[in-house]
Amino acid sequence: MTAPEPVIAPDPASAPEPVIAPEPTSVPGHTSAPEPTPATPTPPTLSCRGLSKRYGDVHAVQDVGFDIAPGEAYGLLGPNGAGKTTTISMLVGLLRPDSGHVRVCGVDLAADPMRAKARIGYVPQEIALYPELTGRENLRFFGRLFGLPRRELAGRIDEVLDLVGLGGRADDRLKTYSGGMKRRINIGTALLHRPEVLILDEPTVGVDPQSRKAILDGVEHLVGEGMSLLYTSHYMEEVERVCDRVAIIDHGRIIAEGTRRELIALVGGADKVELSLEGDLETALAKLRAVEGVIEAAMTGATSIRLLTEGGRHLLPALITAVDGCATVTATQVIEPDLEATFLHLTGSTLRD
Amino acid sequence: MNPRPVLALVAANLRRHARDRVGLFFMVVMPFVSIVFVGMAIGNGTGRLPVGVVAHSSDPVTAALLEELGRRPDLEITRMGSADDLRSGVRSGALAAGLVIPGDPVRLQLVVTRTNGSGLAARSAIDVAVGRVAAVQEATRAAVAAGATPAQAAEYVRQAQRESGRVAVTGGSAGAADPRGFAYTAPANLLLFTFINSMAVAAALVESRRLGMLQRALTAPVRRASVLLGEALSRFLVALAQAVLIVVVSALAFGVTWGDPLGVAAVVVVFALVATGAALLVGTLLNAPDQAPAIGPPLGVVLGMLGGCLWPREASGEVINAIGHLFPHAWGMDALLTLARPGTGLTAVLPQLAVLAGMAALLLGAALALFRRRALTAF
Repeated sequence: MTAPEPVIAPDPASAPEPVIAPEPTSVPGHTSAPEPTPATPTPPTLSCRGLSKRYGDVHAVQDVGFDIAPGEAYGLLGPNGAGKTTTISMLVGLLRPDSGHVRVCGVDLAADPMRAKARIGYVPQEIALYPELTGRENLRFFGRLFGLPRRELAGRIDEVLDLVGLGGRADDRLKTYSGGMKRRINIGTALLHRPEVLILDEPTVGVDPQSRKAILDGVEHLVGEGMSLLYTSHYMEEVERVCDRVAIIDHGRIIAEGTRRELIALVGGADKVELSLEGDLETALAKLRAVEGVIEAAMTGATSIRLLTEGGRHLLPALITAVDGCATVTATQVIEPDLEATFLHLTGSTLRD
Repeated sequence: MNPRPVLALVAANLRRHARDRVGLFFMVVMPFVSIVFVGMAIGNGTGRLPVGVVAHSSDPVTAALLEELGRRPDLEITRMGSADDLRSGVRSGALAAGLVIPGDPVRLQLVVTRTNGSGLAARSAIDVAVGRVAAVQEATRAAVAAGATPAQAAEYVRQAQRESGRVAVTGGSAGAADPRGFAYTAPANLLLFTFINSMAVAAALVESRRLGMLQRALTAPVRRASVLLGEALSRFLVALAQAVLIVVVSALAFGVTWGDPLGVAAVVVVFALVATGAALLVGTLLNAPDQAPAIGPPLGVVLGMLGGCLWPREASGEVINAIGHLFPHAWGMDALLTLARPGTGLTAVLPQLAVLAGMAALLLGAALALFRRRALTAF
């Protein structure tokens, strides 16, 4: 139609100044007295323990617990039906857990839902916006719900519109927007009140690649500015890209949790390196075996050798140097184990089941 | 309770309705189309009977008779050239009756068809007029006989007429018939369209639920009661706006007299609450937005039929009218038609108000309880 889709987060230099930085004191209608915190000086932005939810005989969520530190991006990875959305519904106060509790910046959600909810920016999986209203009117509606003072509201809406790159379309009705644009307003809506933690439930489902990139760029930008993030997806590559730590959830339980490296280490850290060579492959094979970090080497064809290594990518220059004089490397491929492999290993099923 | 989230919901919902052109057409144009067409079909508001008069002389008695006939609110007097014209007018039905006043107005000639109701009505109206003129003649003659000059006699009689005018009976008899024309269709369509359009806007509520707007609203620091109140208030304001629009426009454009403002306001408010309750109930029970316009307005039309909002209640049998009183429309009609009669007020419609208020409480109670359970689950 018009210009290419703008990214959700424009160049930081051009972004309006106090965009996202969490400002607890700016949440109106709620006192900002310091929370009675547990032992740690700064409580996790979002913390849950022992969350369980049953529907009849089905355990939708069982004993789920994790902490998200300020500025941390936390991923909840699992196939459809694993319990991600049920977990999130309990975290944002839409669903009362059968057991367990949720704390937002130290505030117990069940005990003081108004104060806890004021610090969460929740973006539901579906686009929950009024199609008959304009983008700006939708933002104004949610700004009022979040109690933004009248004086600040208009300015803040403009900031968020700039942030999601929809300033130019702000006064068009939502139903005239593309799917990606709706998604961006859907996310912008959750940013109005400067939440301390942003919760995104599968934000890229049904989105074209361009908007998907824009959303991921924008989310990274927000995390870079210090916002905590809970990101759920069944797209491995999104979680790998955006999140510092990941929990793998299946059948309502968290079955593994850690940084990407930690999770991959669960299935063993060895990388495969495939080399295509020309020259004296016998000699080359012997020389490659001698390189430190190479665990195993084998000829897999007339011009190819497969190695099992530790830290495959970093080893490449040493491997190429090692065969210098007897053979020439014409192509390389490094196959690192990824979350997909971990997931397969842990659950016995693929993510896109 | 913090009013801001409630007002935010109301503002958003009203803006949505304002953008719905079909909905606006049904609120702003359709009621008046219905008031005008049905109103014309069941007789215009003045209800005057056309009566032709042939007068051959201009003596005082003839003049007095013509004046008296012209003063009658239920007759439309047309002077005719000849008795033949008058007869053909009556025969063709253009005239309800005809009156020939001969040169010596002692014997008047009435032309009327026997089988026609309006002829009979015109005859009795003419009888009354003639009787009054005769009484004045008689009284004047008596005064002159008692020694008054003709001028004094005339003055006495005028004075006597003024006295009697003061005690004239206003309003109808006990079992007054329902009014005709706009006086009937305006209140009928007020109830009909307030209810139907409330049912139609229930679609917006179903849509809000389907989109997850209500759930999302609850992830903001907003109490459930605020969301509940905001949604209910949005529907109530639409119902009220519809009712007020019909009252004001019909009063200004069609000269409809609604009666005691306090009483009318009370009836309109409780009926709008009934419509709100019904709309919330429908909006909560249905799952697809398309179902609301498919189910709500037909329901509103049926209840309107039973309550006498589509045609005069006299045309329905007693059974239909009795069934109608199981539903709000019939009670609303009772109340509004009572108020339209002169000399009535809020106290005259307290029973109807009580019934309507009970229905509103029942519907709203059920709707809110269900809405809370089905549409809003959070803490």
